[in-house]
Amino acid sequence: MKSIIDSMLAYWIILLAFSLGVAAVIYVGWLKDVIL
Amino acid sequence: MFEFLIAGISAPIFLLVLTGATVGIVGGFIGVGGGYMVTPALIVFGFPGYMASGIDVMHIAGKATVATVRHRQLGNIDWVLGLAMVGGTMMGVEMGVRLLNYTKALGLSGIALLMGSVLIMVGLFLYTQIETHKAHKKITELTQEGQAVGRELRVSTLPIFFQSIRLLPIVRCHTARLVISMWVIVLVGLCTGVLAGFFGVGGGFIRVPALVYIVGATTHIAVGTDLLEIVVSGGYGAMRQFMSGNVDMIAVFFMIIGAMFGAQFGSIATSYVRGPAIRYILSYSLILATTGAFLRLFYLLTAQQYGFLNFLAVVFTLGEMIFLCLFILSLVYFSIRFRSGKWVPAWIPALVVAE
Repeated sequence: MKSIIDSMLAYWIILLAFSLGVAAVIYVGWLKDVIL
Repeated sequence: MFEFLIAGISAPIFLLVLTGATVGIVGGFIGVGGGYMVTPALIVFGFPGYMASGIDVMHIAGKATVATVRHRQLGNIDWVLGLAMVGGTMMGVEMGVRLLNYTKALGLSGIALLMGSVLIMVGLFLYTQIETHKAHKKITELTQEGQAVGRELRVSTLPIFFQSIRLLPIVRCHTARLVISMWVIVLVGLCTGVLAGFFGVGGGFIRVPALVYIVGATTHIAVGTDLLEIVVSGGYGAMRQFMSGNVDMIAVFFMIIGAMFGAQFGSIATSYVRGPAIRYILSYSLILATTGAFLRLFYLLTAQQYGFLNFLAVVFTLGEMIFLCLFILSLVYFSIRFRSGKWVPAWIPALVVAE
């Protein structure tokens, strides 16, 4: 893991993928039924 | 769930507090109001468009006040620079709005305007990203050679040109350590204000790069001074929106609860990093907001046929706030680790302040 995040681009991609995943889970699992 | 009577919708309080907190962290860190993130998010939560805009401006005024106080304590505000820009910015926004109304009367399509704002954001992203990457590389090289590097390094030569303009009166900005013609500052405020008013975007993400790359202020000073500007322009905007009945104060209250803590944290986080780190986060916020806007545009252009485009646009709107917050938190985390002598990724030492 350390060798992967040694690259700023790799860290950026992993963090963005994680963030979009969390947002998708929030939207599909909760927001969509609760609000829209 | 809470029923917002003025907005006429129900929404979870937790979401509003979380949105206020995350955008507060980002806004306090990069010196923007965050309207381009908050307004789409509020629309996703179900608030009508005009109300989302009103709530956004009102909460921005409050959040910017909190962040400005903290940045003042950190020594990141140049009052001469800020107050000289305010007049130009306010005039520029008014001119921009009138220009927009004129072009609308001429029949210029909304899509053309949206494309224009996207072009500006992409252009700003490319310039900021390329310049910051070069600055990052230079700091790494200088550090490896054993040379001491300060909190700021900039490779752009534009400020040298603008600071050489000798139109009286020349002002001395003590905190920013600048000697520059006041007309340059006023013109920068005017031009950024026109762009903000014309394209309907906030001024922060245009003004911060303008303060860095044209006026020549350090990134930290640009962030703090821009937040001071936002207090003035946001305060005026909030008053106008409130008078127009576009504000649900209860929703603003919940957002401010989160923003109070978020803005303070974001402001304090700037003391852990160098200028290039702040510029990186600014450029990421530009490209992510542009991508979200593009997806929304494609969804509307295809007559709302493809639901997955709307899904992607919503996920990008929410995801970018989470991403920027996590990146800022990780910069602070790695900065603390670096100061303790622990392992950090190779790209971190050039971006954080050692003590």
